[in-house]
Amino acid sequence: MTLVNEMARLSLKADAQRYFLGYLWWIFEPLLWVGVFYLVFEVLLSSGRADFLAFLAVGKLSFIWFSKSVTQAANSLIGNRGLIGKMDAPKWLFPLAVCHEGLYKQMAVFALLMTLLLYQGYVPSVAWLWLVPLAITQYLLILGCGMAAAVLVCIRRDFQLLVQLGMVFLLFISGIFWDIDSIGNAALRENLLLLNPVASLIDLYRSVLMQGSAQILSQWLTVLLESIAILLLLTWVYRVLHYWIARRVVTQ
Amino acid sequence: MSAMLTLENVGMHFAVRPDHESGQHTVFDGINFTLNEGDRLGIVGRNGAGKSTLLRIMAKIYAPATGTVTWAPGVTVSLLSLGLGFKNELSGRDNAYIAGLLQGLTKNDAKQSISSIEEFCELGKYFDEPMNTYSLGMRARLGFASALLNRASVLLIDEVLSVGDKEFREKAKIALKDQLTHKQAIVLVSHSDTHLRDMCNAVRSLNDTSLVMRENTGPALVE
Repeated sequence: MTLVNEMARLSLKADAQRYFLGYLWWIFEPLLWVGVFYLVFEVLLSSGRADFLAFLAVGKLSFIWFSKSVTQAANSLIGNRGLIGKMDAPKWLFPLAVCHEGLYKQMAVFALLMTLLLYQGYVPSVAWLWLVPLAITQYLLILGCGMAAAVLVCIRRDFQLLVQLGMVFLLFISGIFWDIDSIGNAALRENLLLLNPVASLIDLYRSVLMQGSAQILSQWLTVLLESIAILLLLTWVYRVLHYWIARRVVTQ
Repeated sequence: MSAMLTLENVGMHFAVRPDHESGQHTVFDGINFTLNEGDRLGIVGRNGAGKSTLLRIMAKIYAPATGTVTWAPGVTVSLLSLGLGFKNELSGRDNAYIAGLLQGLTKNDAKQSISSIEEFCELGKYFDEPMNTYSLGMRARLGFASALLNRASVLLIDEVLSVGDKEFREKAKIALKDQLTHKQAIVLVSHSDTHLRDMCNAVRSLNDTSLVMRENTGPALVE
């Protein structure tokens, strides 16, 4: 874990060196995303929600964490061809390090989100403590999906494009700029939340941060179990494909 | 002398094209040898003969397609790698630290080793500058100095002694020889007869898919 942490920390440092604004991009980039969506869906299209800015910020800022981490993790194996060809290391180390980078950035983004909610007049409640288990659950989900994306890109590079396309698809069906509760068909809504843990997590974040509701145990446990199941499956896949991944990455 | 590493009938083949599973290209086949404590084995062969692939099998990076590799209990095998995990935007100091961690050092040991790397690579004030300001020779010096942190009981060396200028190459060779204990074994891949003569007590040639003793190069290793 020390190695993963230090790899992530130094990678973030290297990343910050590339840009004039350095670490400030951790905050600017998600803010700009929220700004663009706010301009389109509120200023131009009038969403009709009084709390649209907070609604959008909670959804978008947690979604960006997922989409950016998984997209970057997708390239983590082929992008570390040099290391994989030179050292006998567990291959999950590479997507894990990328996801860990995302975790560091997200801590700053959560601080930004809290500030924004306070500015919007939301009052912190005990329900806000749910943010910790929800963030841990999302981290596990990101890790599992990141590992899956990385091994798929090893199989065929075409999956790089499909992962990006998949993120756009998720953006539209996860209720980021629209409310999942607006789906009239209750069964369809439940199935969507069950099949799309990202949508369920966004719904949970909104419940605890905006509505102050702590009655989320059942929905949270479902997402947690889904995330753990995906992670366990991928850990097994990585164990089975340990040598295959090295050959595939080095000879591609 | 006890065996550290034994290869029995080891063979390797790759798909003709990496994205097509059909069509196999046999790189080598039926490789047998035992590496004992203190052995200094040189491997030569034309480009594409499979020297690096053979080292990767010994380093547990690849599994052989055929045959078996047996590592004695407690034996650690590692490829001596230049610039392991280096990032251009980071300073020599940061890169030396991450290279130490990637070679299995603890956080504290990696931090403590930085001063010896700084001294060995002779980069002066550039050690704290981003690596994208370095020349190729400076990168190689930092890479070799960091690679010397490797404490594996079997060191696999793939052409890394050919880095830097003549003076540094000599310094690197001496440093590597000084660091080796009588129990450590090395396998050196090189096209340089001088390096092979200086570092090895036996040389084998990887040609036509098999590994054969090269004539007049010293005592044979145990088969």
